[in-house]
Amino acid sequence: MLASKAKDEGRLCYITNCIRYLESKNLSLREYWQAGAELIGGERISADAEAVALALEMLDSVGIRASVDLGSMGVIRRLMERYRIRDYKKLTRAIASKSIDDLRKLTTDSDALETFTLLMTKRGGADLIGEISKAAGCLEEEHEYFKSLYRALEAYGCASRVFVDLSTIREMAYYNGLVFEIFTPGMGLPIGGGGRYDAMMKDFGIDTAATGFALSIDLCLKALGGGDWGKNNETVRVYYKDGYREKAISLVRVLRGKGECCTLDAYRGEGRGILVGEKTIVLESGEEYAP
Amino acid sequence: MPPETKERLVFAVPNKGRMRDPALRLLESAGIKWLGEERAYLSKTTDPEIDILSVRAADIPVYVYYGIADLGITGRDIVAETGLEVYELADLGFGCCDLVVAVSKDSGIRSPSEIPHGSKIATEFPNVAKAYFDEIGIQVETITLKGAVEIAPRLGLAIAIVDISSTGATLEKNRLSAIGKVMSSSARLICNKISYKTKYDKVEAITNKLKGLSP
Repeated sequence: MLASKAKDEGRLCYITNCIRYLESKNLSLREYWQAGAELIGGERISADAEAVALALEMLDSVGIRASVDLGSMGVIRRLMERYRIRDYKKLTRAIASKSIDDLRKLTTDSDALETFTLLMTKRGGADLIGEISKAAGCLEEEHEYFKSLYRALEAYGCASRVFVDLSTIREMAYYNGLVFEIFTPGMGLPIGGGGRYDAMMKDFGIDTAATGFALSIDLCLKALGGGDWGKNNETVRVYYKDGYREKAISLVRVLRGKGECCTLDAYRGEGRGILVGEKTIVLESGEEYAP
Repeated sequence: MPPETKERLVFAVPNKGRMRDPALRLLESAGIKWLGEERAYLSKTTDPEIDILSVRAADIPVYVYYGIADLGITGRDIVAETGLEVYELADLGFGCCDLVVAVSKDSGIRSPSEIPHGSKIATEFPNVAKAYFDEIGIQVETITLKGAVEIAPRLGLAIAIVDISSTGATLEKNRLSAIGKVMSSSARLICNKISYKTKYDKVEAITNKLKGLSP
């Protein structure tokens, strides 16, 4: 939906309730809250680094210290071709669960087993792609990409919180390059994730690259300590007498600028809130109000 | 390297059944001796950073998936049945068994492909059974039982069962024949995906220790 609004390079974001189809026997929630950002177009390395850095900055801004694990659907597909493994679904399932047993069911080639075992059991930085590239005798381009990506992440100041773990697999089939998951200690599930989905843009009639991510609002709230977050932010109700609407608007703007949550309405005899007239008073006490 | 938190590590092991004793023996060999009392759910160990959570083997993937336990020992068959995404870090080499399709000896059915479409299959593993019959192209109705599955064909509840078999003795006792293997299973070391990242050094150290031991 968001992608259809993009023309050339676009930076789009949303915070909304999302609906997903689940079979009735599945007990997960069908409706959940999500915040996301998409970068349509742009140079690949710069856009991917911006998406990862923005996700971490967003979480920093609300007090969640998170880290990111990077995977690459491009690397997996390239290695599938290299070792002639055909069952993509079973391979990604084996990799995602780090199950060497499941991997052995898909190939008996000792070189393939060695490369995929390295890929599934190691975690590190761009050097890990170099190590896998050396073992597989391909992936030079992907190695260069990861080295450049890390340089860009260093410039954003977040490279020390970003790791390569190629077991990071995103379920959605539209991802074609970098994929990532965002996590924080104490939370058993990833609080967000994203990746590159260039091919999908063609479905919206736009032949351009795209990358993006989403954060689970529900899990972020849980990471922040559960349901108490934001409870103290009580709504300030501001009312105005005839002829004082504009004066009340000025007051509301000042309060909102300070981060207060305000409503504004004509006065109809309410007993609680702030009343703007010739004087501005607190309705409960009748005392003069100064923001 | 990844950030290492100093939080405790919770290790889930079966609270009863054939995997409990070998699991505790294996952990003890790795220097993680259970110090709990019988029926205690959460117990300390000789490693001050590790607690043991004793719960049903079938629930261990759930506790690990949600991160209540960081690591767990349970059967491969059980992990497959839950379908939950956890890391399988090692085959621990005990609790070996096969998940098989079995029918009454006098049924005349010699392979799973001969089971008629629309047949009822009794099992404790409905998801694994359904996926198996889907893959061989036979539409079946799975009936979930919580135990004593072997009796289902004799009572006419189902034409076949999908159940674990380690020696074949229970099948034989109930006049059943195994006609196909769904999967091989054994005890696995499983890990929560986030714990693997946030407690990487500790998880790796335990995994490497357990890989080299036998219960």
